[in-house]
Amino acid sequence: MLVIAESNSLYVGDMLFYLISFILTALLVWHYVWKPVTGMMEKRAKTVAQDIDSAKQARMEATELAAKRKAQLEGSQAEAAQIVDQAKKSAQTQGDQIVAAAQADAQNLKEQAQRDAKQAREDALRGAKDDVANLSIEIASKLIQKQLNADDQKALIDSYIEGLVKHES
Amino acid sequence: MGGDAFTFELFGLTFNATNVLSGLLVCLLTFFILFGLSRHLQMKPTGGQNVIEWLVEFTNGIVRSQMPAEQVGNYSFLAFVLFVFLFIANQLGLILQVGWNGHELIKSPTADPVVTLTFSLCVITLTHFAGISQKGFKAYFKEYLTPSVLMLPINLVEEFANFLTLGLRIFGNIFAGEMLLKLLAQLAFSHGLPTMIVSLPMEMIWQGFSVFIGSIQAYVFVTLTTVYISRKVTAE
Repeated sequence: MLVIAESNSLYVGDMLFYLISFILTALLVWHYVWKPVTGMMEKRAKTVAQDIDSAKQARMEATELAAKRKAQLEGSQAEAAQIVDQAKKSAQTQGDQIVAAAQADAQNLKEQAQRDAKQAREDALRGAKDDVANLSIEIASKLIQKQLNADDQKALIDSYIEGLVKHES
Repeated sequence: MGGDAFTFELFGLTFNATNVLSGLLVCLLTFFILFGLSRHLQMKPTGGQNVIEWLVEFTNGIVRSQMPAEQVGNYSFLAFVLFVFLFIANQLGLILQVGWNGHELIKSPTADPVVTLTFSLCVITLTHFAGISQKGFKAYFKEYLTPSVLMLPINLVEEFANFLTLGLRIFGNIFAGEMLLKLLAQLAFSHGLPTMIVSLPMEMIWQGFSVFIGSIQAYVFVTLTTVYISRKVTAE
């Protein structure tokens, strides 16, 4: 049963057989297994390294971009504040102008009205004076007429008609 | 199961049919298992690819722990294929033992000292070649004279001892494992049912232990191979 006891000669053939078959197996394994597997492992290692690098790059870019955006936002806020300020200021000036114009207008209107009223009063006074004069004259003439005789009266009427004619023309 | 080895002569060389058949089977198994595991390689590994990548990482780890980094690439493939080959060779006899017509046909090839010594001889020869090609003849021979000329015989004996122990260690372990399995099997069939009941659990336990031993021995063989190579290729 002991194999070693059986062998009274060295199996040189076995040694050569094992050497050759092992080398052949190794060559086949090298070509069909080792090269593809280690190639894939290397490729993966490279990809992972690349991914890490690109992730780092992307993060740096993102940080930069965020800082830029923040600065822009702050700038736009300041700008907005400025715009609002300016608008307020211009609205204030415009409002002041409008109020001033309205006041001036009102003043003008008031003055005009006063002037008109004064004029009207003066006109009215003047008319009244004339009327009073006329009336007094008429009253006077009526009073006088009663004491006049016919001739005088005739002359007076004539003069009056003459006056009327004159007045009409 | 079991039986005598039978030999035949071819081209004036003695062959042992058991070893030839088992060796051929181990070669085929090694190639086709690895080939089957390495199909459909993807960036994201699945199934068999995980197994073979773990295996590659494992043997690379053995080499890396023994050698300077610039030498790892040269010997990682040797470690890989040697480990897989020896592992399958060690386990073959535990799973499959074929006898026919009173002759043993298939068993662990590594249970034969001729086979294991072939491997250790190849490995030791390789270490010498690696040493010479890495350092040149002068530095290589100077190694035998360090630290002093008196160390020359000891260094020479060491080389021979390395060759013997490397081959005989794996042979002894695997041979003993198979031998005990066979003895347990004989015990099982010796006195009918009672012995069968007793020896069945023992057989199972020893089978499991042999699987463990076979793995360890393949690992040890590959580790020592890398140690011997790294001793030759690095300046001490």
